[in-house]
Amino acid sequence: MTAATFQWLALLTLTALTVGLAKAGVSSSTALILVLLATLIKGRIVIDRFMALQGVSGPWRWIVLGWLLLVLGLIAFAFQHA
Amino acid sequence: MEAALNVSLSASAPHGDRHDLPGDLAMWFFILAELLVFGVFFLAYAFARTHNVELFNASQLELDRLSGAINTVLLITGSYFVVRAVDQIRHNHARACAHWLIAAMACGGAFLVLKLIEFSAKFEAGINMSTNTFFMFYLGLGFFHFMHVILGMVILGAVALKAWRGGYHAGAYSGVETGAAYWHMVDLVWIVLFPLIYILN
Repeated sequence: MTAATFQWLALLTLTALTVGLAKAGVSSSTALILVLLATLIKGRIVIDRFMALQGVSGPWRWIVLGWLLLVLGLIAFAFQHA
Repeated sequence: MEAALNVSLSASAPHGDRHDLPGDLAMWFFILAELLVFGVFFLAYAFARTHNVELFNASQLELDRLSGAINTVLLITGSYFVVRAVDQIRHNHARACAHWLIAAMACGGAFLVLKLIEFSAKFEAGINMSTNTFFMFYLGLGFFHFMHVILGMVILGAVALKAWRGGYHAGAYSGVETGAAYWHMVDLVWIVLFPLIYILN
C-alpha cells in the first residue's frame, strides 16, 4: 500500500468518526473538540501530504497550516461562547 | 540531463528535506486569497450563530447529513486520485496521469450532482437564502464552493488533456502540480465546511 493510499484511508476513517460522533449524541462540548480535532488532522494530511507542503522552503506550509489553525480555533471559540 | 535529475530528485525528496513549492507560485497566491475569503465566511457563520443558536441548530436538522458525508468522501477520493496522477507523471506515465485526473473529475462531477439534488430538495421545500440566516450561509457558502468545484474540474480537464497529448513528462510537470494544488484547496475548504455547517451544533 502506498503512503497516499494510507492517508486516503485515514481521511475516510476520520470522516466516518466525525459523522459517527454526530449520530452518537455525544455532549456538545466534547463533540465540538473531537470533531474539530478530527478536522485539524484531516486538514494537516491534505496540506502536508496531498499538497506536499511539508518540507517546502519558505513560509508556505506555515501560512496554510496557520490558516487552518486560526479558523478552527476561532470556530471553537465562537461555539464555546454561544 | 542534470536539470532533469535535479527536478526528479526534488520531486521525490523525503519529507524531511527542503524542496521547492510544487507548481506555479501564482497559483499559491491565488489559493491563499481563496482561503482568506472562505475563512472570513466560515467565521462569519460561526459568530452569526452565537446570536441565533436555537435557530441554527433547528435549521441544521433539516440538512441531508448523509449527502454531505458522501460528498466529503467524493472530494477526499478525488484528491487522492490527483495525488496518484502527480505520482504517475513523475514516473513519466502521461496517459496514466490523465486517467487518474479524469477519475478525479468524475468524483467532482458526482459531488456536483449530489449537491444539486440537495439544493433542489431545499428549494422544493420552500427554503431559499432569505428563509433565515442559517440557510443564507448554507446556500451561499454551498453555492460559492460549488463554483470552485466547477473551476477545479475545468483546470483538471485542461491538465488531463495536455497530459494525454504528451505535454508533460517526468522532467516537466509543474502544470500537473499547479492543477493538483488548486484541487486540494477545494478539498481542504470542504473538509472545514462539512463539519461546520452539517455537524457542529
